Amino acid sequence: MKPFACSALLLMLLPGFALLEARQSTVYVSVVSTKLFVVGAPNPQTGLFYQKTSDDTLWQHTGRNNIRAFGVDIHTPSRGDVLCIASGNGVHQTTNGGKTWKITTGWRITEVLSVAIDPRTANTIYCSTPYGVYKTTDGGTTWNERTNGMGTLFVQTVLIDRNNPETLYCATEQGVYRSDDGAATWKKTGLHVGGVRSLTKHPTKSNVLFVGTDDFGIYATSNGGAYWDKMAAGLDHVAFYTMVFDPTNPEIMYAGGYITGVYKSVDGGQSWRRMNDGLTNLNVHSIAVDPTNGNRVYAGTMFGGVFKSENGGTTWRYAGLGGSQVWTMTVQPF
Amino acid sequence: MGALGPMRTTFNILLLCTIIAVPVGAQSIFEQRHGEVVRIASGERDRSFSTITAKLKAGNDVPYALALLDTLTVDEAIGGMFYSYSLIGCYLHTQDLLPDSLKRKVREAYRTRTMYRGDTENHWVMYYTGLYLAAQTWPNEGGSRWFNGRSSSENFQEAGDWLNHWVTTSSTIGQGEFDSPTYVTTFITPMLVLYDFARDPVMKKKAQMMLDLLFVDFAAEHLKGNYGGGHSRDYPEDIINPLAAPSTFWAWLYFGEPGFPPWNETRYRPRHRSAWEPVFGAVSSYRLPDIIYHIATDRTVPYVHRETKRVRNVIRAGREMNPPVYKYTYVTNDYILGSLHGGILQPIQQHTWDVTYASDKPNNTIFTLHPFYSGKELAMFFPEEEKFLSDEVDRYHKVYTNPNKWNSSSPYEQTFQHENALIILYHIEQGAKQPHVDGFFPKNLDELLRDPSGWIFCRAARTYVAIYPLKPYQWMEEEVNWRLRSHELNNGFIVEVGSADEDGSFEAFQEKLLQRKPEYKNFDSTRTVEYTTRQGAKMKFTFDGERVLNGDRPSFKDYGFFNGPFIQSALESGVIRMQYKDKTRTLDFKNVSIVETP
Repeated sequence: MKPFACSALLLMLLPGFALLEARQSTVYVSVVSTKLFVVGAPNPQTGLFYQKTSDDTLWQHTGRNNIRAFGVDIHTPSRGDVLCIASGNGVHQTTNGGKTWKITTGWRITEVLSVAIDPRTANTIYCSTPYGVYKTTDGGTTWNERTNGMGTLFVQTVLIDRNNPETLYCATEQGVYRSDDGAATWKKTGLHVGGVRSLTKHPTKSNVLFVGTDDFGIYATSNGGAYWDKMAAGLDHVAFYTMVFDPTNPEIMYAGGYITGVYKSVDGGQSWRRMNDGLTNLNVHSIAVDPTNGNRVYAGTMFGGVFKSENGGTTWRYAGLGGSQVWTMTVQPF
Repeated sequence: MGALGPMRTTFNILLLCTIIAVPVGAQSIFEQRHGEVVRIASGERDRSFSTITAKLKAGNDVPYALALLDTLTVDEAIGGMFYSYSLIGCYLHTQDLLPDSLKRKVREAYRTRTMYRGDTENHWVMYYTGLYLAAQTWPNEGGSRWFNGRSSSENFQEAGDWLNHWVTTSSTIGQGEFDSPTYVTTFITPMLVLYDFARDPVMKKKAQMMLDLLFVDFAAEHLKGNYGGGHSRDYPEDIINPLAAPSTFWAWLYFGEPGFPPWNETRYRPRHRSAWEPVFGAVSSYRLPDIIYHIATDRTVPYVHRETKRVRNVIRAGREMNPPVYKYTYVTNDYILGSLHGGILQPIQQHTWDVTYASDKPNNTIFTLHPFYSGKELAMFFPEEEKFLSDEVDRYHKVYTNPNKWNSSSPYEQTFQHENALIILYHIEQGAKQPHVDGFFPKNLDELLRDPSGWIFCRAARTYVAIYPLKPYQWMEEEVNWRLRSHELNNGFIVEVGSADEDGSFEAFQEKLLQRKPEYKNFDSTRTVEYTTRQGAKMKFTFDGERVLNGDRPSFKDYGFFNGPFIQSALESGVIRMQYKDKTRTLDFKNVSIVETP
């Protein structure tokens, strides 16, 4: 999966071109299934796909297909060498940019819904499952359950505070849990709603988080989870599967969910409006913003593939992977 | 009578004596039939590892078999867990007949093909059986030689650990995918392959014991090829036509029933990609113990069989991971009346109750259901998005949201059975999807009478069924059946089943029923019905309330793991004792031993 070696060479030889190339980010998407999915069949158009931001509708596949890929996380300091996929079979991991892959988890860890790599060390990885949270500190050789203090085991998402990686948050079926000791213990935050489906943290303000729920809309906290406010201004829907900050301007946020299309906020989540021009599938499960160009936004849909906006969500166009259930997306600045 | 008449008579008597003298049992049935399975399967041209195995074993159509095996090692027409166990099973049975080049291709398949583990119990049994045997076959290889990047030893260890876990769970609290006429194949076949090729004697023994358990579990609810009673999962086509299910083939091979070879019978209409998995039984060294054969076929005395199973893993919106399932079955020589206690016990394909009767006609069953569907139900068991799950399931199970479907779990359905009498109650919430209950009555019944008293009387061969709907209904003709449909939300049925042996004539059966009616005044508010069976048992049942029998409150705890004349086991004991007359066979899973007496 490492088509970047040539680019690196060019970068050294051609400074002008290198500047252009340096602005090329990489988009990763995990495809759980497609409209053609059949249990036991090969289901080739599933798994992890990636493209350069200039690649239009062209996507390349890496790793195994037919794995029910729910999530993906990239160890940014490795520039994509270390990468994990959260999948039905467990955690698929590569440490060489996709040349080889290994399922590092055994049978006890299944239906992995999200994975999070510690930005300080790629040996520390967390994953969330319907059976709790698991952690490895040796790069996947051994995994241990980390659910002490959790009242529910169904954990949709585990999120690392990248400013303080000992702090983690979990979106669960019974609210949001927080750990301040690397998942050794968990405490329930002040949010008491069920079916928390997504969780996102402000790029720089550690205590600012937003969650999307299956039936209760969007909540936000500005104090690390002690108190939560329901965000209502401009929201006409209740089920939100994804929320993201624009890393280039955290006052800008995007959210999507069940028949919502894409909502955008320009005031840090206080108010929202729908931006669906050209978005022909309104079931949005994942959104990602290019960290090198905040106007470039991607929306992954349920069985409708990927849509792309080059103007901050004002208009959208189809960007490939039609028919796919695009569960997670991320754009990396390399 | 001609000149040869007396001689013919003498010959016939001798022949009869010879037939009587041959001991009938599992061994003789199997010996008579397993060769035929291989022979017939070897002439089939479906794309399955089962028929490839048969062709190579029989020496029939060998070039085609080798070419097909070659193709399937690279053709991704089938994949995942189905591929994992059946490819290695075929390979291990036939490796002496394979050219080296093809052996290498089979080996390579476990590096290049993704073996998806799946998300159901049967998926995991197939996946880990395949992985266990493949890792055993190609030991000491690094992760780069395997599809999942794990070494042979890692794969062997993981697969063995899970198989041990599954054996322990299944032998103590039961299977989640229990008693499925369709999916039983996906447990039997991998266990046959594991039994034949596991080198570890303990694993081999466990595979043998699991086969015994799977077969005796089936045998206790078996009637002439039919898998009776409630089922965790089944397809509508098999529910309305019981002998069409894959379990029929296994019954024919091991129990000797039904009498007809399944592949020649229109009643047996397998829908799956291959109906020839019993080839793996036919070529196996596993032999069904005689005691299980007798349990499956001796119906001289009617009996009650009770057992406890479990719900598959509830991952959200539940209080327990694996709540118990209580199953009650009444078995006679003519019919089986069986029921699960009700509620959501398995998503998608549950079959809560039926009476299945011996017949030479298809569609030999009667039952009712509420055709429930819900994203919330699916979200209890699957991690995907609740609001999309129903549509996703519909894509491959086709009928999940269909209001006319013939399989369903429902939170609005509960049962109370005593011997050959059953009360089914429905309490459908206001606003629920598909607010009706349906009943299936085959059109080929020998007699059908909707009596003005309210009773519906049915006769099929020697079996008599009486059903009393508590609420008004409409009666609709369909292709092979009548559909009873009632739109009343608080609803129910009284069912009594009899037979020529139990009741004499059909008229006498009707006469007994016409003298009785259920009591259910103020049913919409109390949801309580009282009924005295034709044999005098007083039943009182309240939806979400008590089950009272003759003033007592029968406890589900009495069900044990198995509690019937043929099988006894305490829940979680891991010790399962089969009994037939003076013979016993005890499976002790905790000590991995089998003890037979005498």
